[in-house]
Amino acid sequence: MASNKWIKLPKENRDALVKGWLKTLLEKGAVSGVVVPSTLPSGANAAQSLITDPAMLEDTQPFAPVMAVSTAKILSRMTRLKPMEKPVAVLLRPCELRATIELTKLKQANLDNLLLIAMDCAGTFSVKTYASLVQEGTNFDEMEEKLFGGEEEPLLRPVCQGCEWSVPGGCDITIARHGLDGTTFGLIAHTERGEAALGEMEGEAWEGGEEARAAAVEKWTQDKIAKRDAQFAELKERVTGVENLLKTYAACINCHNCMTVCPICFCKECFFDSAVFEFESDRFMDWSKARGNLRLPTDTLLFHIGRMNHMSTSCVACGMCQDACPNDIPVAQIFKMVGFNTQSRFDYVAGRRLDEPVPLAEFREDELHEIGGE
Amino acid sequence: MKPRIGVFVCHCGLNIAATVEVSEVVKAIEHYPGVAHAQDYIYMCSDPGQELVRKAIREKKLTGLVMSNCSPSLHERTFRNLAASEGLNPYLVEVANIREYCSWPHQGDKETATKKALTIIKATIERVKRNQALVPLIVPLQKRVLVLGGGVAGMQTALDIANGGYPVTILEKEAYLGGRVRQLERTFLTMESAPDLANEMIDRTLKQPNIEVLTTSRIENLSGYVGNFEVQIRQQLPWVDPARCNGCEACVAACPAEVPSTFDRGLTTRKAVDWTPGERHGDRRIFLDHAACLRVTRQENCTACREACAEGAIDYPEDRLIDRTYGAIVVATGHDLYRKSALTEYAEDPDVLDALQFERLLSEDGPTGGKVLRPSDGKEPKEVVFVQCAGSRDPDKHFPYCSKVCCMYTCKEARRYREKVPDGQAYIFYIDIRSTGKGYEEFVKESVEKERLLYLKGKVSKIARKGDKLLVLGGDTITGLQVEVEADLVVLAMATVPNPGAKELARLLNINTDPYGFIQEAHPKLAPVETLTAGIYLAGTSQAPKDIPHAIYQAGGAASKILSLFSRKELVHEPLVARVDQEICAGCGYCRDNCAFQAVDVDPIRKKAMVNEALCEGCGACATACPSGAIQVKNLDSKQVFDMISIVTQDYSMQP
Repeated sequence: MASNKWIKLPKENRDALVKGWLKTLLEKGAVSGVVVPSTLPSGANAAQSLITDPAMLEDTQPFAPVMAVSTAKILSRMTRLKPMEKPVAVLLRPCELRATIELTKLKQANLDNLLLIAMDCAGTFSVKTYASLVQEGTNFDEMEEKLFGGEEEPLLRPVCQGCEWSVPGGCDITIARHGLDGTTFGLIAHTERGEAALGEMEGEAWEGGEEARAAAVEKWTQDKIAKRDAQFAELKERVTGVENLLKTYAACINCHNCMTVCPICFCKECFFDSAVFEFESDRFMDWSKARGNLRLPTDTLLFHIGRMNHMSTSCVACGMCQDACPNDIPVAQIFKMVGFNTQSRFDYVAGRRLDEPVPLAEFREDELHEIGGE
Repeated sequence: MKPRIGVFVCHCGLNIAATVEVSEVVKAIEHYPGVAHAQDYIYMCSDPGQELVRKAIREKKLTGLVMSNCSPSLHERTFRNLAASEGLNPYLVEVANIREYCSWPHQGDKETATKKALTIIKATIERVKRNQALVPLIVPLQKRVLVLGGGVAGMQTALDIANGGYPVTILEKEAYLGGRVRQLERTFLTMESAPDLANEMIDRTLKQPNIEVLTTSRIENLSGYVGNFEVQIRQQLPWVDPARCNGCEACVAACPAEVPSTFDRGLTTRKAVDWTPGERHGDRRIFLDHAACLRVTRQENCTACREACAEGAIDYPEDRLIDRTYGAIVVATGHDLYRKSALTEYAEDPDVLDALQFERLLSEDGPTGGKVLRPSDGKEPKEVVFVQCAGSRDPDKHFPYCSKVCCMYTCKEARRYREKVPDGQAYIFYIDIRSTGKGYEEFVKESVEKERLLYLKGKVSKIARKGDKLLVLGGDTITGLQVEVEADLVVLAMATVPNPGAKELARLLNINTDPYGFIQEAHPKLAPVETLTAGIYLAGTSQAPKDIPHAIYQAGGAASKILSLFSRKELVHEPLVARVDQEICAGCGYCRDNCAFQAVDVDPIRKKAMVNEALCEGCGACATACPSGAIQVKNLDSKQVFDMISIVTQDYSMQP
């Protein structure tokens, strides 16, 4: 299965080259559809579409630095009951790929016949920010180059600013930027399926790419880990303890948007929306009498802690939850920190590998000794 | 229907009443919503106490009971039976444990204990309000037993059950029954012939019409549950047809494959096709050992034996796979001895034997016809050193446990040696002599006196070849001196270990092993013949080192448990099992991965979890693993748990 083909092409034509390539794949019948961000009617935004008409690829924006909905959630919808019958190409960012792999392990998606094409990612903007940047006429290619060059961009989504997972793993093809000088971009096939698809693309062989890329990725990752840890340190100070948590989540209106957009929250009905949380009127009076003041609606913090308990072992830190929060609670950062800590306990990284069982589905005789303390 | 719950508060003498203000509890709970009756009594479990409950059920038309007393493990069943006899569904009765959870831990603090008792009772009332009336599940019972292992423990279990009238299948991996006992010469205490003992039992087993013996067979697959185990058996069909074989040995002469005899523990060799070991055994016949045959070991198309056979008795059929259903399974897979090579301080030498090899040397059907002759040069050894605890009671390097039988058989072997070589000397190095058992101590004492056995208290640190002799270096802890013996032969009482493959078998059967690979019993004192999987029982040395009488006791124990299981028409299973809300289930499989009883699976088409109620023990591991609450245990669902928690948080004003 394993393959290893490296080519590079001029970066200035990346958008056109990739679209042209996807078009060829579609026209030749190598794939029967392509899932890729398309320009929305408003013009100022992009969201995923499943494209089957090659002509429609014109209106797509494969590299728009925005994630309206996690592609993982879309793929789960499309493949949970039945895998794709014929190959479909999907363009993903690394966190979307990890969420897809995680959902596959949780039996919520099926990778059969998906040609996974994932890109090196320097971060994305929230839908709102992206729209205003479009209005301002921002040159996103230039901005991306600056980011890959190591410059900071405060408008990026906060989780992206401290994201150490810039490189996709477990896909068929990587659209690469790390390890190159910015005048070219790379295409790397990791699987036979990927190599076959890449056969439709002419490019210069990327000599010495592996070493150059490894060094660049290592440097990038270390920088981001430092940023991440700084974010964690600041956040931990702010949210540790019930009092601080209550303060942080005080603005929560119990809309459950964070759960709705989370690719990992795969439940058909959230436990916290179920009848378990319906109580008779007496109960509200009793609670209130016990304290004199009952915050309403009840169980808002319990919802977040419960959701954290349910999905932190699988959280990929994509940040969708925070984008969806109407009151700017740093949900994604909190979940990322908790997720990182729980997953570390199990030597696990959500979505890193398909053959690593999710921690809750696996029993290790020694894990009881390792947990606890601190 | 509005709930009419009865709350009964037990004093348990002073166990509860000295710490919990019982009358206050009754007063406070009388008017709690849904409560139709509240009452206290000194001993609710006593006859007059139970009568109070009966009367209240009848007169107040109670729809549920909250029995506030000791742990449910003591009297839940009592009060559920009582309710049933009054026409109230027993699953509408719950225990509020105000003794173990309340009065005992809060002794001397009446205020705290009384408040807490009230909270526990209120929470239990909320639970009972949502309890469903349930009916026990009926599971069919296949009254047929599978015994794994045809040694004395396995045969005894099979005989006891077969004599009770139920069909039994014995699976034996070797080509013959008898197990380890067949390899021994005599048994200690009575000094009876071990082969005779085994033979007599084999004879009874083969003649018992309810017993089916499948040799060269093993269990391949298992599913199902108590009463209904679906078993797949792999049987190597005999390549020599015993009905046609006339015992001419032409095949034996023709066979090119010569291998060490496992029965004689490498002291002799045998052909791949050869006699079953033990001349005196009634089931003696020529058989072809697949594991030694070139057709298997080298994948060669050797047909030498078939060509040599004038009777056409030899052919090479494929293994047969047999699917059967059994109601119960007995694991009697026996033991092995720890390998000598593990004791690196002792020379690897033809004259250093393990105890079973020495048994073969003593045996009339052994390599020397029962004469004690040492393997290296065939001379009669005049100085023999026996080393006890070889690998046992050595937590640093080998096994911490005592192998239990070595003290006794070493004494027996030394005694037999002296009887056979009257001018020989036997030395026995020991740590302690453990001779607990009826007549055991007397046997050791008599042997020492009669046969002048020389017992040396100490460990042997080294065994090395020195010319014609073996130099044995040991300490005598009584005199504090170093002891050196120039021996002709050394016999190591190697630690008893489980048979190879015990762990894999345990995994297949979904039962546990201890750290050394012995099969784990359900409880060391109260359930020594059961495993934690209902319907799977234990007998003999697969569970722990033991001698023949103990193996026989355990075999009888396992058989009687199975006979008692089979005395029922069908199995009744608690209805407190998990159930899946098909609308909510997302099919992620967390429930299946967390089920210790393999009771949950995900339907591959509908992508929904399904519960096999007969396998479900109602532990709730699935319910805690399920993020959406789609799988719930009946009468302890999320709503009930949250209702109970909300009572606690409200009474103790905790932040929700």
